[in-house]
Amino acid sequence: MIKQNIKQLEERSIYILREANMKFKNVAALWSMGKDSTTMLALARKAFLGKIPFPVIHIDNGIDFPETYTFREQLAKKWKLNLIVANSEIKPDSIGSACCGRNKPDTLKKVMKENGFDALIVSIRRDEHGIRSKERYMSPRDEKFRWNYKDQPAELWDDYASKLDEGGHVRVHPLLDWSEIDIWSYIKQEKIPVNPLYFSRNGFRYRSLGCLHCTVPVKSNAKSVDDIVKELETTKIEERSGRSMDKEAEYTMQRLRSLGYM
Amino acid sequence: MVEVRSITMLGHKDHGKSTLIGSILMLTNSVTNVRINEAKKYSKKLHRDFEPAFILDSFHEEREGGLTIDITRAEILYNKVAFSLIDVPGHEELIKNMISGASYANTALLLVSAKKDEGIRGQTKRHLFIAKMMGIDYLVVAVNKMDTVEYSKKAFDSIMDELTEFIMKIGFDKRNVSFVPISAYKGDNILKKSRDMPWYRGKPLLEAIYENSGKNASKDDSALRIVLQGVLNGRKNMVAGRIVRGHIKVGEKGTCIIPLDINVTVKSIEAGGRRVRSAHVGDSVALELNRNVNKDPRGAILCGEAYCPIARKSIRARVFVIGKLDGKLSIRFNGIEVGCNSIKINSQIDTTTGETIGSKNIKVLNAVDAEIVLESKIPAESFTETRELGRFTLYSGKEFSGIGIIG
Repeated sequence: MIKQNIKQLEERSIYILREANMKFKNVAALWSMGKDSTTMLALARKAFLGKIPFPVIHIDNGIDFPETYTFREQLAKKWKLNLIVANSEIKPDSIGSACCGRNKPDTLKKVMKENGFDALIVSIRRDEHGIRSKERYMSPRDEKFRWNYKDQPAELWDDYASKLDEGGHVRVHPLLDWSEIDIWSYIKQEKIPVNPLYFSRNGFRYRSLGCLHCTVPVKSNAKSVDDIVKELETTKIEERSGRSMDKEAEYTMQRLRSLGYM
Repeated sequence: MVEVRSITMLGHKDHGKSTLIGSILMLTNSVTNVRINEAKKYSKKLHRDFEPAFILDSFHEEREGGLTIDITRAEILYNKVAFSLIDVPGHEELIKNMISGASYANTALLLVSAKKDEGIRGQTKRHLFIAKMMGIDYLVVAVNKMDTVEYSKKAFDSIMDELTEFIMKIGFDKRNVSFVPISAYKGDNILKKSRDMPWYRGKPLLEAIYENSGKNASKDDSALRIVLQGVLNGRKNMVAGRIVRGHIKVGEKGTCIIPLDINVTVKSIEAGGRRVRSAHVGDSVALELNRNVNKDPRGAILCGEAYCPIARKSIRARVFVIGKLDGKLSIRFNGIEVGCNSIKINSQIDTTTGETIGSKNIKVLNAVDAEIVLESKIPAESFTETRELGRFTLYSGKEFSGIGIIG
């Protein structure tokens, strides 16, 4: 995995976060308590001189790991986050894409509407998935959260998409350029707190975190942030190999994203 | 940590841009087996031989339709440099996506197919024209599909000769251009020299890209330009922006904000979340000023008084036309949108030939030289002086209608 110039990535992300906050009236960010969205929050603290000016939303289906909830409470207090916990229903029969594709976006739609958010910061990265690599830094979604990926707006020279339709919003992707190893190198450099589930226990660790039903750990002896950076320098295993929905039917990710999945 | 150089692909549809990136990813071991196997699986499903392009083309419309719809990037490591290869669509109707991709690069890799009935096309030249216009000065031309013409030197030479003439005509420096005969599909002359083309005496493709990229000089020592995004955290003496040229030190005298026409002194600088004594090109800074800024500074420039851009309403620009040039026109310039009072077109250029043609009937995908009068002043400079202050996007209502380079 290629380690990029972290300072350049940091400067660009700070620029995009400030741009989002100045361009839109009512911004919110999604926080899953995973490494990427937590890194995004660390960058936002830098962008806004220590205090994050927008609310952070956790779409909570009640089946995240206990460690994840503990981490949420600790960091929300430490960083004085304006945390919105939106409870999402979990139906016993829906797992994988059926769950992530419907229940969570439905809850998000409700929160967005209730609060009138016109921009949503989402911490996806280009290297995670072929479909995510096709995203813009700022990408409009219609009121039904649909992504018109066949006709995305031009994005050049720091001219980003504005909100287009009534009821729609713009997804903001400040971490699009970062790779997995960049994230961990930055966590190491900045001593960003992370969910303990990322570290190896009994020969396994979580490399990508979803909820209890759909996430499995991968073989690893990495017990610290340093170990993880070293592991990623040589690994040939895909980051999302422990996420069940990525392995379902063809083009699941494309379908999910076009319907509003994060 | 390594240096990253962004390279944009260029070229007519089906001349092999995505296939080449797929091949490069595999030859340099830059892609996981999962991704390769997934591409293999879908190639098989569509009853095709393995398509390396599927590693990049992830939408099902792209795979089934055999075209790239939108841009994506792939990173490879070569000679300790990370090359970010930006794949772009070759289709005419997707040119706004191609432009979006090319805007992030300073070097281009053009694909021209040597296959019978393919060769140099209008779109090949148009992509070159756009790239040069957008400030890309370094170019590698890969003459592709050499395996389909029995690796013929003659086929390669004829493409090289015809294209060299056009490349010179639109303003490239011949020393910054190199030609490499390749087969993206077979892997010839990509990482290593091909045994099938002993007549080729140049470097293999990746070496040619390495030698012909990343040469843009540092702008740290030139005159200061900070593009302002706005006031930060509602504090009127605190502005945020990005340094696009030069550097700034705390307490430096003689700085001003154009077009607000106020003089300021920077009392403190924050960059990367830290208090710093000075900040440099590329930094996103928060600047505490000695006074309040009462008008919105978004899109304004903080610079030295001695050498600063002049705020003006009237600009001369070359515009690459993507949509209509009538209706309610406006330009977007460093985060602000400014309406156009008038646009006067002086001449039109056919971007597939580089020739100036009559300006009566303006065609989409051509370029025009125009005089635009704006509703309010912007701190513009010529593109050659400061790139970030010499370019804009043009809209007709909400419709994207072109990009402009200020002369």
